[in-house]
Amino acid sequence: MKHYDCRYYLTIDVFKGLCKRDAHRVLADDLACENYENARKCKHCLNFTLTTTDMGLCMSIYDAYPEMNAMTCDEYERKT
Amino acid sequence: METKNTPTKRAEKFRQTYFDAKSSVSVEFPYWYTRRWEELEGEIPIIRRAEALKSGFEHITPFIMPGELIAMRKANYLRGSHPMPWLSESFFLSKEDELYKEALKAGKASADEVTTMGQGGGNVTKSTGNVISIAGKFGLRKEEMPILIKTAKKWFNKSVEDIGHKYEKLVPDYDIKEEIMRAVICMFDSGYTLPQGREVINYYYPLQYGIEGIKSICISKQNSSAGYPEIDRLYFYKAVHTMLEGLQTWIRNHAQEARFMASFEGNHAQKEEFLELAERLEWLSENTPRTFHDALQLIWIFHVAVLNEDAISGLSPGRLGQVLYPFWKQDMEKGSITREATIELLECMRMKFTELDCFASMGVVGGVLSGNTFNNLCIGGLNKEGDSAANDLEMLILESAMSCDTPQPTLSLLYDEKIPEEFLLKGIACTKIGTGYPAWINNRVAIEFLMNNFQHEGMQLEEARAWSIGGCLETSPGSWMPLELNGDTYLIPGGSAPATSVGVHFISLPKVLEAVLFDGLDKRTGRRVYPSHASELESYDELWTIFKRYFCITVEVLTLTNNIQHDIWGKITPSIINSMLKPDCLEAGKDISNKGSRYNRTFNVEICGGVNLVNSLASIRKNVYEDEKISLEELKEAIISNFGYQSAQDTGSYSLIEQVKTSNYIDWMKTHKLCLDAPKYGNDDKYVDDIFRDWQHWFSEMCENYRSLYDEALYSCQISVSTHGPMGAVTLATPDGRLSGTTFADGSVSAYPGTDRNGPYALFNSATCYNHAISQNSQLNMKIHPSVVAGREGSVKFLELIKAYLRKGGFHVQFNIVDSKMLKDAQKHPEQYRGLMVRVAGFTQYWVELGKQIQDEVIARTEYEQLY
Repeated sequence: MKHYDCRYYLTIDVFKGLCKRDAHRVLADDLACENYENARKCKHCLNFTLTTTDMGLCMSIYDAYPEMNAMTCDEYERKT
Repeated sequence: METKNTPTKRAEKFRQTYFDAKSSVSVEFPYWYTRRWEELEGEIPIIRRAEALKSGFEHITPFIMPGELIAMRKANYLRGSHPMPWLSESFFLSKEDELYKEALKAGKASADEVTTMGQGGGNVTKSTGNVISIAGKFGLRKEEMPILIKTAKKWFNKSVEDIGHKYEKLVPDYDIKEEIMRAVICMFDSGYTLPQGREVINYYYPLQYGIEGIKSICISKQNSSAGYPEIDRLYFYKAVHTMLEGLQTWIRNHAQEARFMASFEGNHAQKEEFLELAERLEWLSENTPRTFHDALQLIWIFHVAVLNEDAISGLSPGRLGQVLYPFWKQDMEKGSITREATIELLECMRMKFTELDCFASMGVVGGVLSGNTFNNLCIGGLNKEGDSAANDLEMLILESAMSCDTPQPTLSLLYDEKIPEEFLLKGIACTKIGTGYPAWINNRVAIEFLMNNFQHEGMQLEEARAWSIGGCLETSPGSWMPLELNGDTYLIPGGSAPATSVGVHFISLPKVLEAVLFDGLDKRTGRRVYPSHASELESYDELWTIFKRYFCITVEVLTLTNNIQHDIWGKITPSIINSMLKPDCLEAGKDISNKGSRYNRTFNVEICGGVNLVNSLASIRKNVYEDEKISLEELKEAIISNFGYQSAQDTGSYSLIEQVKTSNYIDWMKTHKLCLDAPKYGNDDKYVDDIFRDWQHWFSEMCENYRSLYDEALYSCQISVSTHGPMGAVTLATPDGRLSGTTFADGSVSAYPGTDRNGPYALFNSATCYNHAISQNSQLNMKIHPSVVAGREGSVKFLELIKAYLRKGGFHVQFNIVDSKMLKDAQKHPEQYRGLMVRVAGFTQYWVELGKQIQDEVIARTEYEQLY
């Protein structure tokens, strides 16, 4: 898993960010560390269905994409 | 270079992070906006818009940087912004294939690849790794590209651009407009590119009432308007209420994130800061500010909220030091804040403004704005009673702008004879360290302009004094509003008019003259722009008459088509947040597109290249018609042959210096010399200054003949921003000796680089040969070698120079205090100059983020090595 997918990843820009836990600078696409936890993203949501490699549906109605942040989404239900 | 203080550690940390951060685009806001918009098909447009905005705000991923004292941003990146396909989606549809190809190429970027992108500053100049470059400026994560394209497609034939285009075609002579745009005689439309901005925000309502207080006003007004005539008021209040609910969730999401970050923070001091921030945001999501820090956070929230409502450049905070003064004064009296803590907060505020990016169309972001967002903060001026309004907090604003020298917010000092000398000398100290700010603005001239143009809407002299600069240099009306704080009442200034610099944008005057010389053709492309004049141009008067005719055609068709675009904008995407803030929209229940603002005469006609036009007219008049040294045909041949030089596009050099001759240079040498030797503006030469004055009077008078969407007359506006680069790039050589493709003179009363040879006072005499109050502005940029203004004596001399110009009636002057040799070195070694700033035309920008056309022009500007 990448930093980009981690709950503790704080984006600075499209390339890089900070680890919220230790404030170290990390590259978005580098491998995550042992503190990794899944960020709330559509790809981890029960209401999301993948339709192509990079697109899917939310609640079978709305276009959505797997990497979308769902931190503020009321409909988010974590896959177990 | 004068010595300068360094920023506080906290601000410096953010500045270094900023230097390393890239402009990044997020799809979150447009995704959620569009999703909600589609759900509400059939709803009343302003309610649908409010619900869509609410959804956008509610779904922004909160982003708190450790160490920040003022939180919240436009998007979930440090330099984040987002596309607004409801305004314009055509770029993404036209680039769909290209973007998909870039996405296919993507892979993981190495650290080296990321760090070697220093050139270009924060611009993502090429696609790298999992990042797609959009127009060489913005970075987009490749996984967001398909949804962006899909979202953009949903707006096809529904966006302001598409619907506006459909109806503007109904304007007679629309075909001419198309050709005008194709020839780049006009730079851009505003209805779907930058429909708001170049104006002064008003923070009064949030500061006086807090968000819950404004919601209560809405409920009360809703109750008194439901079912009564002018029922649109009901929908407006409902929309404002809905939008505020979205803002509350947005703020609370950030508070929650601050608490989350505090939950695992090991550093006690940082943990406390997170918790304080969370408490502050929770408080402000409902209530009025308690302290200066609260007030600063609240105005920032509303500033960003407006910027997320539309693609906006030039949303100026106005006289912020006077708006916030009551809070600061009471905190100082209570001993709850120190001057040092104030400076730290103000430096943090500077970083927040500097982070702002605007995702507008590419031509606009690069060709007009140079990546700047034009948040102009004004200091000085007069209060309602006519006394100096300069205050101690503004002294600290200057101090923080010197220690934390960043492009935003730029400063403008509203000069009046009543401003204390100590304040003016502080402004001089700031200008001297090479920040490019403050710009020096003539308060008296601005008030004369405002009284001339807004008296019919009820403006009194006392209210005219509440004015401020919107955007880089647009004189904007304001009003005084009564802020009550702990039992005291303070009159605070704020903007009271909608966007200006909407209307007719940047007409390239040398390009219009080119069309006159070549019978209405764009000679570069061979396309016909204007109807043939079929004239031999046998006299100067004939040429001048045809120039005026072509110019009128241009203004007329652009006024009509832009009126339609802005009408469509108001119908599809009316302003809700900015309307709520602007007196008297909330009182009247009308948004700004329904003339809810107190003052509404804000549409203007902008021009570019005026000095090249005037110098060219002087050259033609003297060389062709008076001295008869060359025929008009010979001059036209010389122009087509670029006086025997290679084109700027071929040489890659965009100023008159460092151009390369062709083998037939000798054939045109005599003609070129005649053109170069013709009288030039900026030398106190009556011959050319009379032409300049005639042009100014005619131009400002002719604008009155055209009516804006709000049925108000237009007025003239004279700023170049960055348009003198791209507009020069498509213009052939000009009769003043300027070469093809090179950049025009900047501003409106700046001399063409290298042609002002008689010292600054001669330039001032030329610049003030007409009354500057007949126009919304004038713009004078000067470059002075640092050694000339060094020391205390240099400061006094420098201030006297500025006063001399303003007392003559000049409206605006700004300075680059810089050694040209350093600029040349910075062009060769940009990686060594990440923090170098220069003044362009109404704004300061990092050197490395400017295009070469503008860099060359700044280098070529006359460098004054003495002040007499």
